[in-house]
Amino acid sequence: MFKTILQVAYRNAYLRKSRALLLILMIGLSMGVMVSIEGLYDGMSMNMIDRTKRSDSGEISLYANKYRLEHVIKYRISDADKKVLALQKITGVTEALYRLEVDGLAQTARKSKPSILLGIDLDDEKKFGKFEEFLKEGELDFGKNSAFIGGGLAKKLKVKIGSKVIFTAQDSQNEIKSIALRIRAIIRSSNINFDERALYIPRGEAARFLSVKQNSATQIALRTDETHTPTLQTTLQAKYPKLSVYTFAQLYPQLQQMQTMMDVFNTITFMIVMIVVFIGILGVMYVSILDRIREFGILLSIGYAYRYIRYQIMIEALLLGLAGYFLGLFVGLLILSYLTYQGLDLTLFAEGMEAFGMSSVIYASIKSSYFISTLFAIIIASLLSVVLPLRKIKKLNPVEVIRSAG
Amino acid sequence: MFKLALKNILYYKGRSVTTFLLTFISAFFFIVYVAFMDGSHSSMLKNALDVYTGSLQIYQKEYRDKGGYDYLIEENQKVFEILSDIEGIKAYSSRLETFGIASSKKHSAAMMLTGVDFSKEAKLSQLQKALQEGLYDSTGTCLYMGSELAKKLQLTIGDEVSFVGSAIDYSFVAELFKLCGTFKTGMYDFDRQSAFMNRPYFDTIFLSQNSSSYIVSMAEQMSDNDSIAHQISRDLPTDLRVYTWEELMKSMVELMKIDSLFGYISISLFFLVIFFVIMIYGFINVSTRIKEFGILKSIGLSDRDIDRLLFYEIFILTTGALMLATPLGSWLVYYFEIYPIVIPGMSEIYKEYGVVSDEVPTRFEPLTIIWNVLVVFFLNLLSILYPMFYVRSFTPVEAMRHV
Repeated sequence: MFKTILQVAYRNAYLRKSRALLLILMIGLSMGVMVSIEGLYDGMSMNMIDRTKRSDSGEISLYANKYRLEHVIKYRISDADKKVLALQKITGVTEALYRLEVDGLAQTARKSKPSILLGIDLDDEKKFGKFEEFLKEGELDFGKNSAFIGGGLAKKLKVKIGSKVIFTAQDSQNEIKSIALRIRAIIRSSNINFDERALYIPRGEAARFLSVKQNSATQIALRTDETHTPTLQTTLQAKYPKLSVYTFAQLYPQLQQMQTMMDVFNTITFMIVMIVVFIGILGVMYVSILDRIREFGILLSIGYAYRYIRYQIMIEALLLGLAGYFLGLFVGLLILSYLTYQGLDLTLFAEGMEAFGMSSVIYASIKSSYFISTLFAIIIASLLSVVLPLRKIKKLNPVEVIRSAG
Repeated sequence: MFKLALKNILYYKGRSVTTFLLTFISAFFFIVYVAFMDGSHSSMLKNALDVYTGSLQIYQKEYRDKGGYDYLIEENQKVFEILSDIEGIKAYSSRLETFGIASSKKHSAAMMLTGVDFSKEAKLSQLQKALQEGLYDSTGTCLYMGSELAKKLQLTIGDEVSFVGSAIDYSFVAELFKLCGTFKTGMYDFDRQSAFMNRPYFDTIFLSQNSSSYIVSMAEQMSDNDSIAHQISRDLPTDLRVYTWEELMKSMVELMKIDSLFGYISISLFFLVIFFVIMIYGFINVSTRIKEFGILKSIGLSDRDIDRLLFYEIFILTTGALMLATPLGSWLVYYFEIYPIVIPGMSEIYKEYGVVSDEVPTRFEPLTIIWNVLVVFFLNLLSILYPMFYVRSFTPVEAMRHV
């Protein structure tokens, strides 16, 4: 019996070809475009978050108490190397490193800009956040008295590879000191804090410049297994009471909020599109049933159970909805695959995007959740769309219907 | 034919109500969405321009590329004379920027020190309005410093600050100043790096009489800015160049273009779905009326007449919906332009992105509303093309026999 219902439903679903095709096109194209937009926006915010974590905070960062408030070298972490070793052994911590940072003034012969000097260990940075991927120009090799520079700062100072920059800052003894640096590489991490302000030098050299011990740090950053992050913060705070432990969300609330806003936006978009899709399916199903009301009357009068009609109509709606879904799946995967591998190239607006911490090529992300949630929504929309028409059939008086239609 | 279309609309209520509602929602949503998008962009730009940048700036041609004291404007007065002859300029002034290290007793920080004419700046920028503590229009060794910088140097009003930098002849400058006032514009980087002092005393220290890094000007009406820039360019000496705010704020302008692009991509999704639904309802309606069209054709109506009938139907429905959506949407947009939505704490969170206000205003721009409405109007008209084509595919006999 079920096989027969299925066959009848299939034939009826595609009986009015133009109508069915329009509906399938509507579901397919809107779903395809919707998941593409969802993937693109997700990709954009995830990319910003990922690059910020890799270039700076990781999932968790530790600072000396008061450092985040006053930003002076006086509040630094001592024995950072030992602390990093200890932290690396904690379950959930995948990578750890320490950095030394100081605010100062970067100057060329003609230009000056307030900036920061960041002492880093290149090998640690490569392990921690694939630092090599941030290289825009030059080579990642600290020679003697050389430095890397953030792309935005390089632009403001008008420096190129090989240019000389003087950095002046106050050291730990409150003395004003300067260091001459030759630029070896230009870095674009898509983290505005660094791209617009940072000069990178070897950590040891930064320690010497600031007259602090080699194992001093202003920040210890950790890459952690996301599931452990909330508990790790509490554990680490208890273990290191003299340090302040911050999660990424606390350090970059704007990026976290951006991600939340994207999620909210995507959810609202999803709901609106699905409501309109529901209206579309409802229209088609309602008219399709009205067209065949006499047919249903006859079926009921010869003893065909109402539940079979209900199954048949539900299957018809599902067949139309699913056909649209599969078209949408195809369109969505096609667009998302392109956007994931080729990206959306917005280099025309590169200056604006880079100045605000975005890559000029935006790559989409593909998550199975886009397609799973849409599948459920389309199934629900399809089934809901037949509720009203089915109520009409249920109230039918077969004799009257056959008479009036005849 | 128009009357027949009207009767059909009243008879086929399901299709009419759906089309009317969807058109109303899409037009209303589009007007409000674009107004909020444009409003937040304008607000960001306006804040940035009003705070300090001005609507145009005049530089020595090489200054922005190469920088430094070698490319200063050396005849301020001559440029002032040109500006004073041009109508539509609200205010203008010269600024001379220099960088150095400022130190309090315990702390040091990089600082951009700018020599300004405080009375002219009061008309030109928001510096006076941004006064947080102490004096704005100070004289002598007084500094008017960004609140974040003062906080970093742990300075209070009356404290001494030393500054090490260089004069415009590249000689060494080390001077002791006094903090007389602090300001907070909300532009985080600006408040963290900047300090101002009165031009006469600045000039004696930095030897910068009648010179400037640039001359800044503010147009009375932003819409006149380009023509003012054009007039200034015409009269300026050849070694000077005018930059409009679009050039000065290029990255922000680009970011806004990107934001608008994404906004339009998002809204195009709604249009796509709504377009299809209106087309489907139009098509369903037409396909249930094939017999009716067959009869109309058989009594002498041409395909063109049927097209006209269908066009009138969608035209009446769309126009009706737009006539309701447009004033309602416009009123809402106008209301929020005057009374912007306030999101407390927004400027603090997004300070690094140049957001200086918690207000999210709309922009009431009649021309924008007109094109928003026209887009919805033409999309609706487009949605009836396929149903028209479908009806045309039937001969009168086929249509009358259609089940």
